[in-house]
Amino acid sequence: MAQVITQPAPETPPRKRRAWRGVLVGWSFILPNFLGFALFTLVPMLAAFALAFVDWDSYRTPEWVGLDNFQRLLRDETFFVALRNTLYYAAGHIPLTLAAALGLALALNRRLRGVGFFRTAAFFPYITSLVAVAVVWNMLFNPTAGPVNQILQALGVDDPPRWAASTDWAMPAVIITSVWRDMGYYMVLFLAGLQAIPKEYHEAARVDGANAWHRFRRITLPCLRPTTFFVVVMLTIQSFKVLDLIVVMTDGGPGRSTLVLAQLVYREGITEGRFGYSSAIALVLFVIVLTVTVVQFRLNERRSDR
Amino acid sequence: MIASKAGKRRRFVRCTGVAAALALAVTACGGGGGSGEQASGGKTTLTVTVWNLAKTPEFTALFDAFQRANPDITIKPVDILADDYPEKVTTMLAGGDRTDVITMKNVTDYSRYSSRGQLVDITDLATSADGAKLAGLPAFNVQGKYYALPYRQDFWLLYYNKKYFEQAGVKMTDHLTWDEYAKLARTLTKEKGGKKVYGAYHHTWRSVVQAIAAAQTGGDQLGGDYSFFRDQYQLALGLQKDGATLDFGTAKAQKSDYKTMFESGATAMLPMGTWYIAGILSAKEKGATDVDWALAPMPQRPGATGATTFGSPTAFAVNRRTEHADAAKKFVRFAAGPAGAEAIGKVGVVPALQSPEITKAYFSLKGMPADEISKKAFQPGKVVLEMPVSEHTSDIDTILNEEHELIMVGDKSIDEGIGSMGDRVKSEVLD
Repeated sequence: MAQVITQPAPETPPRKRRAWRGVLVGWSFILPNFLGFALFTLVPMLAAFALAFVDWDSYRTPEWVGLDNFQRLLRDETFFVALRNTLYYAAGHIPLTLAAALGLALALNRRLRGVGFFRTAAFFPYITSLVAVAVVWNMLFNPTAGPVNQILQALGVDDPPRWAASTDWAMPAVIITSVWRDMGYYMVLFLAGLQAIPKEYHEAARVDGANAWHRFRRITLPCLRPTTFFVVVMLTIQSFKVLDLIVVMTDGGPGRSTLVLAQLVYREGITEGRFGYSSAIALVLFVIVLTVTVVQFRLNERRSDR
Repeated sequence: MIASKAGKRRRFVRCTGVAAALALAVTACGGGGGSGEQASGGKTTLTVTVWNLAKTPEFTALFDAFQRANPDITIKPVDILADDYPEKVTTMLAGGDRTDVITMKNVTDYSRYSSRGQLVDITDLATSADGAKLAGLPAFNVQGKYYALPYRQDFWLLYYNKKYFEQAGVKMTDHLTWDEYAKLARTLTKEKGGKKVYGAYHHTWRSVVQAIAAAQTGGDQLGGDYSFFRDQYQLALGLQKDGATLDFGTAKAQKSDYKTMFESGATAMLPMGTWYIAGILSAKEKGATDVDWALAPMPQRPGATGATTFGSPTAFAVNRRTEHADAAKKFVRFAAGPAGAEAIGKVGVVPALQSPEITKAYFSLKGMPADEISKKAFQPGKVVLEMPVSEHTSDIDTILNEEHELIMVGDKSIDEGIGSMGDRVKSEVLD
């Protein structure tokens, strides 16, 4: 095959035409995917940006209102509650999932009997139906008869948290569930990263007398940096966009204690029919995620320059 | 070599063809959806949104009766999961769906759709001689215009387990006060072979506390002052604290089902809407439960005269984007009329059109309790609309629901909760 390409063809078409053909072939390869992306993601996204500056109930003609939606946002207490909850969720979900996934990957990156089984088991939550996950964890967290609190009571905790039935513990309950669900997926990414680290590094370090902690600190972590960076970026985006698990587990409650931005976007848009205001919130969410991601990329670049 | 290259190119062309066809198929799916179509032979097909078709016998009863009376029209139900119904219909209408008849599951959603201009004005049907007699019709009055016609009128009453009452040696009366209700609930609470039987089950909906308080005190749920909820919250929290009702947090966590609570004998009393009568009748007929049940009027405040309860009508409306407006209006009128009332009454559903004959036919249904208290429960003195309709209804509903949860899980005291309901409704909605 390689031979065919390197061999000059008997009649070489003009260079320009050949270049065009390459572009067209390239485009046609990404066309099916790009078409779907453009139709279902790009166009709606751009439309949502425009909608943020109008008042529209999806039925009447949109009315241009300039920055009204954003002014309203600044006065809307519920928006700030949702923003705070989203940050709370991200602050819990990102580090915990990262730690759990890395820990699992390290534990399962060795020659153990049945390691395949454990890897599959760890990945299982990720491919389980989210509704089932939420319902089962809700039962586990049942404040009066749930196994979690029964275990806590057996361990001597007299007044165990009321989890989803209390404003203070509902978010931790959601975070625990989401960490459990997501860690398997990121574990697979970390496992791939770990296996790409040349064994020689560890062997050399061992010969030099480095202990396990030193090897982890000085070899494993630095070598994993591209993977870690990717995982952190994905986790951040995922955390800020969280919706599904919360809708099924707590539906934002009790009160507004687990209401997040994505849910507010849905509620204002689909339920209340205020598509302009909903798009304004979505735009703010987009800007937040974009900023955080750009900052992460910058930090990563600076560190790789060193 | 050359041949294999050509083969590859051919395969590539075929692949792009398939991909393009797929893309077209996907976009085609996005474009259509739910419109009524003209079937062959001049027959009109009407599409109607319904929820849980298999478990809601009234729809089938109604459609069958309508099709018998109008052989030129076929009804095609659009079945939607009951829990998702409001969101799904909202999304459908927002997306320009052409389903002909939209069932209004509650008045709050009706107020949204009508204020957005998504429904056909059918004031002519509502103000006709037949229409004006319908119970619950005033709820659909939007500045003198009507966009839906109720076909059933549900109201709340008290279901109770006769066996537990006999075992405890207590008697149900037809004029219970809330204090007597609370006392009964505490008496009836017991452990039975390791299984707990609650004296009462209060479902997690805010109406169980708030709508009954509003109906019986005359309080306005859209007003911004909610001190009239206080007594009812004290009662509900008191019973919860004494273990006479299932704890709110647990009920939420388990997504507990009032039907299961009552039919499995986990509760002795259950304040609930009349729609559940059809549910028990069919569960008993299938042999799914052997609960020995009867009805009583809702408990009342001390010194109240007559029985006041709350309720809400269910209605049919015509989609503004329908292509069969005449057939759709015909169906709406039929459902609300005598023939529709007869059809749904037979399956245990309370029709909006009420007359002594219809009530009599209703109580002669197989499995209906025939005692005097049950019959009295069926004729409440006054039925107040569950939630008044205005442009603010849905926003206020969200706030009242959030604060209800906080009071019921004990995160806020009754006074704090009632205070923040008022503050939030005033600052976030009414201003």
